[in-house]
Amino acid sequence: MKKIMAIIGRDIRSGTRDWLIIYLSFAAIFIALILRALIPSVSSSALNVVMLENATPELITFIEANATVSFVDDEEALKERILRIDDVVGLKEVNGKFEIIKQGNEAIPMETSLKMILATYGKDTSILPMTVAFSDIGWEISPIKLEGGSILIIFTTVFGGMLILLNLVEEKMSNTLSAINVTPMSRPQFIFGKGILGFSIPVIGGICAAIILGFGGINIWMFIVSILSIALISIIVGFSIGVTNNEPISAIASMKMVFVPILASVFGAMFLPDKWHFTLYWSPYYWAYDSIHAILIQEATWLQVLRDSGIIIVFTGLIFLALRKRIMQGLR
Amino acid sequence: MISVKNLYHSYTHDDVYAVNNVSFEIAKGEVFGFLGPSGAGKSTTQGVLTGLLPLQKGEVTVAGYDMRRRNRQMFNKIGVSFEQSNVYNKLTALENLEFYKKLFDVKTEDPMKLLEIAGLSEVAKHKAGTFSKGMKHRLTFVRSMLNNPELWFLDEPTTGLDPAIGRQIIDIVKQKKSEGTTVFLTTHNMNVADELCDRIAFIIDGEIKLIDSPRNLKLQFGEKLVVVDHIVNGITKREQFSLIDPADMARLNTLISTGQIEMMHTKEATLEEIFIKVTGRGLE
Repeated sequence: MKKIMAIIGRDIRSGTRDWLIIYLSFAAIFIALILRALIPSVSSSALNVVMLENATPELITFIEANATVSFVDDEEALKERILRIDDVVGLKEVNGKFEIIKQGNEAIPMETSLKMILATYGKDTSILPMTVAFSDIGWEISPIKLEGGSILIIFTTVFGGMLILLNLVEEKMSNTLSAINVTPMSRPQFIFGKGILGFSIPVIGGICAAIILGFGGINIWMFIVSILSIALISIIVGFSIGVTNNEPISAIASMKMVFVPILASVFGAMFLPDKWHFTLYWSPYYWAYDSIHAILIQEATWLQVLRDSGIIIVFTGLIFLALRKRIMQGLR
Repeated sequence: MISVKNLYHSYTHDDVYAVNNVSFEIAKGEVFGFLGPSGAGKSTTQGVLTGLLPLQKGEVTVAGYDMRRRNRQMFNKIGVSFEQSNVYNKLTALENLEFYKKLFDVKTEDPMKLLEIAGLSEVAKHKAGTFSKGMKHRLTFVRSMLNNPELWFLDEPTTGLDPAIGRQIIDIVKQKKSEGTTVFLTTHNMNVADELCDRIAFIIDGEIKLIDSPRNLKLQFGEKLVVVDHIVNGITKREQFSLIDPADMARLNTLISTGQIEMMHTKEATLEEIFIKVTGRGLE
C-alpha cells in the first residue's frame, strides 16, 4: 500500500504542476457549470413571468397564483431580464390592457399559456380549471440537461483515461519507467497506483456533474454502481493508449479515436430505432449510456443497472486481457 | 554475487545475438568492469542482470536470485545508475529521492544526505527540469544509492560529464567499494576502469574476449620496458630499455652504476592499448 500511495502522491504532485492535467481533473465540473448556465432553467417546467414592481396588487396576486413571478424596477430592467439566456416572458398592464413581452426564442410556448391565464383575470372564476406545466413529449426535464448530462458523465472516462496516459507518457519520455522497474514495486502495484487517479476522475466528475446539473432525485446507489463500472473504461483507455505512445501529441491524437465509439454509441442509442440497437451492443459506452440515461430520468431498475454494469465490467476485463501482454511490454 | 553462464540475448528473437555465450562470475565486494565499444553488448548484459530485459537463454543468478524466476525483492539489494539521466522533471531533487525512497522495503538513506554527497543540497527544492545535464546525472547516480545496495550497477557513470564531476563520482564509488559494495561497472572509459576495477572483461560483438585484473593484463600484454632520462655530455637524453633483452639490461646497469640517470620509470601498456591488441578494435 505504501508503494501504491507513493505512486498516487507522485502523480498528484506532478499533476498540480501541469495545467493540462489540472484542467482534465476539473473538466467535468467546468463543463457541467457551463451546461448549467446554458440550460434555460433546470426547472423549466414552470411558467416564468417578470413584472414591474408597480403593477397592481390584484394582478400580482393573480399571476403569482398561476406562475413563477419575478419583479423589476422599470421597463429597461424588464427588457434586460427577458433578454437573458433563460425563458422568461414579461408582463405589463397599460391602460387596462395587458402587454406580453417575449424574446422570441423561447423553447416553450409561454405566451399562449399566459394569454389563457390572463383571459380569466377579473372574471368570476376564482380558480383556473388547469395547472400550467410545460413538458416535451416524454420529457420531464430539459433535453439539454438530460442528454448533455449523460454525454458528459460518459465523457468523464476520456478525462480519466487522458490523465493516466499523460502520466504514463511522462514516465516514458523521461525514461523513469526503467528506474521504477529496478525497485521492488511490482507491475500490478504500479498499474493500480497509476490507474487509481484515472479511475477517480470519472467517479468524482460524474457525481459532481449530476449534482451541478440538478439531478438531485436520482437513485444515488444506482448512479454510483454505474459510474464505478464506467470508470473502469478510463483505465483501459488510459493504459492501452499510454503504453503505445511515446509523446503527448501522438497520445492525445490516439485518444481522439476513442471519441468515435463514444459518440457512435450515444447518438446511436438516441436516434436508432430499438430494433437496430443490437449493432451497438459491442460498445461498453452503449451500456454506459443505457444505464446513466435511465438513472437520470429515474426510470432505471436495479436489474438494468446491474446488467449494464456487469456487461461493462466483462467487456473491459476482456479488453484488458487482450491487451495485457502489450500493456506489460509497454511498461518495461 | 553474480553468476552468468552461457548467456545469450537476441532482440530479434533469432540467431542474431547482441550477447553471445557470455559467462563470468563476480565475487562479493568485487568491482567488475565490463568494457567495450558502443554496441558491444554491455548494456544488454546489464539489462538482463537487472531484469530490465528478459532472460532468454543461459543461467543468471544475481544477489542470490535466479533471474529465471525473478523476484522483485532482489531490488532491495541492488542499485542501478543509468547512463541517461532519468528523473521526474516536474518534481524537485528532494521530491525525486523521497518518491523512490518509498518504493523500497529496506532501510534507506536520508535523501538530503545523498543530495549533499552529490553536491545538490543547495538545489534540493528546485525542480529537476531546471537542472543541467551534469546535475541530473548526479541525481540519477545518488538515487541508485538510496537503498544502500549490496550490488551496484553503474552504466557509464562518468560519460559526458566534466572532469570535476567525473572525479566526484569516482570518489564516491571508491568509498562504497571500501565499504564492501559489489560493483558492476559498464564503461568504455579505460581510465575509470583502470582506477576502480578489481577485474575487467573486454566485450566486443556480444562476446567476452578476455577477463582479468588490470594488473595482470598489463603484465601479460605490456612490453616490460623502462624509460630512462640520463645525461650524455651535459644534455638530457631519453632512452627506452627492454627488461628482457640482455644487451639493454647491461646498458641500463651501466647507467645506474655511473649515476647519470635523472628520471627512470617503467612503461606499462594502457588498458586501451591492451584492448586494441586483444580485439583489434578501438573503443569508440
